[in-house]
Amino acid sequence: MNDERFIDTGYISLLKHGEQLCGDRVIFTSNENTRIGVLADGLGSGVKANILATLTAQILATMSVGGMSVEDCVNTVVRSLPECSVRRIAYSTFTIIKIRDQRYVELTRFDNPHTIVLRDGKNHEFEYRSRLIDGKPIYESRFEAQVGDVFVVISDGVNFAGLGGAYPFGWGRDNVIRFLEAHYDPEMPARRIACTLAEECLRLYEGMPGDDTTIAVMRLARPHTVNLMIGPPSSADLDGTMLNAFFAQPGERIVCGGSTNKLAARYLGKELTASLDYCDSDLPPMYHLEGVDLSTEGALTISRVLEYAGEYLSGTQLHPRWEHGRDGAAQIARRLFEKATDVNFFVGCAMNPAHQNPKLSLAFGAKFQLIDKLSKRLEEMGKRVTVRFF
Amino acid sequence: MKVTICVGSTCHLLGSRTVVDRFKALVEEHHLTDKVELSGKFCMGKCGEGVCVTIDGVTHVIQKDQADEFFEREILAKAV
Repeated sequence: MNDERFIDTGYISLLKHGEQLCGDRVIFTSNENTRIGVLADGLGSGVKANILATLTAQILATMSVGGMSVEDCVNTVVRSLPECSVRRIAYSTFTIIKIRDQRYVELTRFDNPHTIVLRDGKNHEFEYRSRLIDGKPIYESRFEAQVGDVFVVISDGVNFAGLGGAYPFGWGRDNVIRFLEAHYDPEMPARRIACTLAEECLRLYEGMPGDDTTIAVMRLARPHTVNLMIGPPSSADLDGTMLNAFFAQPGERIVCGGSTNKLAARYLGKELTASLDYCDSDLPPMYHLEGVDLSTEGALTISRVLEYAGEYLSGTQLHPRWEHGRDGAAQIARRLFEKATDVNFFVGCAMNPAHQNPKLSLAFGAKFQLIDKLSKRLEEMGKRVTVRFF
Repeated sequence: MKVTICVGSTCHLLGSRTVVDRFKALVEEHHLTDKVELSGKFCMGKCGEGVCVTIDGVTHVIQKDQADEFFEREILAKAV
């Protein structure tokens, strides 16, 4: 049996009502064999909390990537955090989740709420071991993950939702678990799980969260490949090489750019058409080509996908523009950000004379810069990315 | 009469959407929906000077603010 796995990650932070900065901080990062997620919740709210959480999350993420022990991590955090002048303590709670080889889970938690694990859509209880490090009680757990497992790391703002209103002490962990179980869908991407729960918290807070509310999700998914081809090759001799390579790949296929679509249409022996439906967007309309999953304009559409990627990574939007849009960029974004685990770019190096026109907002090398930036963004999302030039 | 407008990157930046929207509205206004067929087209290789519009196989390059004037001269006059 094919047991290939991939870790899908996503998060969202809701700001405490009236604040401009978040006192919770999430960082996802990886080294060769381990994907790491850190959620830190700084004492208080606003600027101070933001600084504490950012420092804590960054130290923990960097040290964990370097393979340092939990003791070293905690020690460093304790010694580095500035002391609050009012409360005379330096403090940020945290959760670290490490998944090695897409299988071995290590959870480390200090004062954050319990991480919730869903297995086959049901709450999965697991053992914690506690010990004191620098006088702080640290809870640790290790177990083996299965495909489909969902790890929901939360800040206390989640459990407190509804506090003083519908629930005197907040709706609490049991209700959060019930909510997650009820909304479980094995295909739902990590970011959407986080946003669905955040939406409910926002409703319970009546639109005004009483605390920073953060949800970071890691999910063990099956791999899904998306191939994206953009630009004709540097010489017509390479047309066949590029098209053969592109169409030989398993997975979904996206073709970007008018000339590139024309090449693909000739290769497939199919008709290429352009619609005049602008889908309420200021981007060029979609193209249609039988035999590929998506066919769109090139540089402008990919620039927009890059903007969307930045928004995805910022974790601040409950309802991003790309979530429901019908335009080419939104459709590419959904496939790349939410479905893909592996992304292969096929980039043709032909110089596009139109990109040289000083009247237009496209610069020389625009295509290369776009693909370079987009592949970095996708790697930050934890995807495996390859780029081939022709 | 078949009218195609380029929806490639360059023409898009030079205002093909404005041209498409104006043509659609004018076709409606003059009750020409059964006489004029509007569709999108890919780069016609005359990028950079304006929006490429093809009428029954003949390509014209127009500026987006000339859409109405062009429509009256080249499409309305010949379609009625």
